[in-house]
Amino acid sequence: MMKAKNRRILFSLAMLIWSGVMLYFYASGRISKYLAEEFRTIALLGGLGLAVVGLFNLLTCGQPAESCHDHGCGDCEGDHEKGDIHPLLAFVLMVVPLGLCVAWTKDDFTGQALSRKGLYDAPSRISSTPFLESLSGPITPETMQKGHQMNPDGYYQFSLMELFFSAGDRELQSALEGMKIETEGRWALEKVRNENGNRARLYRLFMTCCIADSRAVPIVLEFEGAPPDLTEEDWVKVDGTIHFPVENGASQPVLQVDHAESAEPPYEETFMRN
Amino acid sequence: MFENVGSFRNLRSEPSLGHRLTDRAWMAFLDRMSPDSQQNFALAFLSILFEGAPFILLGTLISGVIDVYLPAGTMDRFLPKNRVLAILVSGLLGIVFPVCECAVVPVIRRLVKKGLPVSCGLTYMLAAPIVNPITALSTWKAFEGQNALLIVGSRLLIGYGVAVLIGLIISRFSMRSILRPGLVDQVEEDTCTEAACCDHDHEDSHACGCGSSCSDDHDHGDRSERRIVAAFRSAMKDFIDVAVYFTVGVTITALFNTGIAPGAEWLDRLANHQVGAPFALMVLAFVLSLCSTSDAFIAASLDKFTWGAKLAFLTFGPMMDVKLLFLYQTVLKRRTIVLLALGLLLIIGAICIGWQELVPHRFSSHAISTMK
Repeated sequence: MMKAKNRRILFSLAMLIWSGVMLYFYASGRISKYLAEEFRTIALLGGLGLAVVGLFNLLTCGQPAESCHDHGCGDCEGDHEKGDIHPLLAFVLMVVPLGLCVAWTKDDFTGQALSRKGLYDAPSRISSTPFLESLSGPITPETMQKGHQMNPDGYYQFSLMELFFSAGDRELQSALEGMKIETEGRWALEKVRNENGNRARLYRLFMTCCIADSRAVPIVLEFEGAPPDLTEEDWVKVDGTIHFPVENGASQPVLQVDHAESAEPPYEETFMRN
Repeated sequence: MFENVGSFRNLRSEPSLGHRLTDRAWMAFLDRMSPDSQQNFALAFLSILFEGAPFILLGTLISGVIDVYLPAGTMDRFLPKNRVLAILVSGLLGIVFPVCECAVVPVIRRLVKKGLPVSCGLTYMLAAPIVNPITALSTWKAFEGQNALLIVGSRLLIGYGVAVLIGLIISRFSMRSILRPGLVDQVEEDTCTEAACCDHDHEDSHACGCGSSCSDDHDHGDRSERRIVAAFRSAMKDFIDVAVYFTVGVTITALFNTGIAPGAEWLDRLANHQVGAPFALMVLAFVLSLCSTSDAFIAASLDKFTWGAKLAFLTFGPMMDVKLLFLYQTVLKRRTIVLLALGLLLIIGAICIGWQELVPHRFSSHAISTMK
């Protein structure tokens, strides 16, 4: 069996490795791709806490500590620290998956995972009313225009979220129908109901706590001819006219695009619940 | 890609059916772990780990402090002497000590070691992630506009009721039949040690009952330092114990979350089934392993499902999920965990289906999902 001191060193190192990874992701800003805003500070505190506990235990690994038996009933030092599994196995289980994931991650989901997260689901099937709670009173084209800025070309700037959730609200649909709209999101190829080959998809992710619980928030883009040759998952800004045709038994926001171009990613790439 | 694996396999003499099946499953898994899958898995894994690790640390720090500074039996003294009343009170401790399900497991391990009756410990463990102000507030926020009062009230009530019920059932069994043997030994050892050797006030008298002289001449400053060292060591040990199981749980959750592990699409087909939907969402909650402080935001967006199903999701998830399955193994016997999982599934499923039938029709799933 491993000596208590070696066990402490091993466990301290495991904690420091976890801490290092968390602090690195926080300091580099990459944490914003993984966690919602309120959880980032918690992750920072967690990383710092792990560092303090790991470092303290590493520096004091050889020191005696108080135990019940310190009063002359025998030396049990280390007995209370025995874990359920072998320390080396515990170390491997804690460090190897983490190391592999740090090596594998590109801070983004691929299309394969996005399709599982609703990229190709009909919007009305996963729309949710809480996101519309800010809209109070009667919804008319005028109130919608009043609440949104117009770009120099005469398109009202809407977030993709608003367009996506409009699919579940008849009143909102009739207010938006035919409106000239500008929005931004990430580019994806259209894989459903695209017989004419003139459609693409614009999406963003909506995260509640961490990216694992995120859902894709997509709308359909329709072009006169073939969609422009843009790279999948790149950020795109599009101008066009919004319509809500019923497709496959459900209303679907479809933006008939006048113009699409690559764009810089926004500061927060993922929608948050707040 | 797997030619080498195949040729390596051929070197073995006549592999058994079991070996062949294992090899096949392993190869199918490797096949699913394409570079795309690795990328997706890594993203999900890291995000869940970053989200959960601070809460585990918080729990283990609390547990480390309890280990060193809380004398054995303190919790027991706080609770009413009557066993049923003690269980009823334990179910409400989350209001005072609001912890999520990740943080509660190390705390409960320590409290049980410190003499908290197992039935009270498990009641607290099951209730605290739900019956606490943070969870109530997040559920309220998530369901605003979807009859938040009904959902929050039902969640708290059912969560508390189920936890107390399980506590009452557990109280009829011996500690040895519930807890893992290692933990029972430690509880008995600690109890014995405390009773025999440390039957004194640590701050004052050193009259030891074990026959040895405890008139050690250490000064109290030195002792305080050694206590801090002990508290940190205890916290680290608990953190490692929990983190190992948490890592395994996160790995499995990430595999399901990203579709690398097979199965999940069938859930959709059960969405409007009065009986099937609650069970389907309990399975989803089990697989997703969300934190109780944030799972309501996921449940609120599952608008295909009945509200009873969402309630089952919100009640079952904080009590039993993939990650907890592993965390519980630091406290409970495997048989206990399996029985607990099945019991929770059936009890919560039955209550949520019945509750959905009992409440007025205006709170039906359709009304909620279309409410503005």
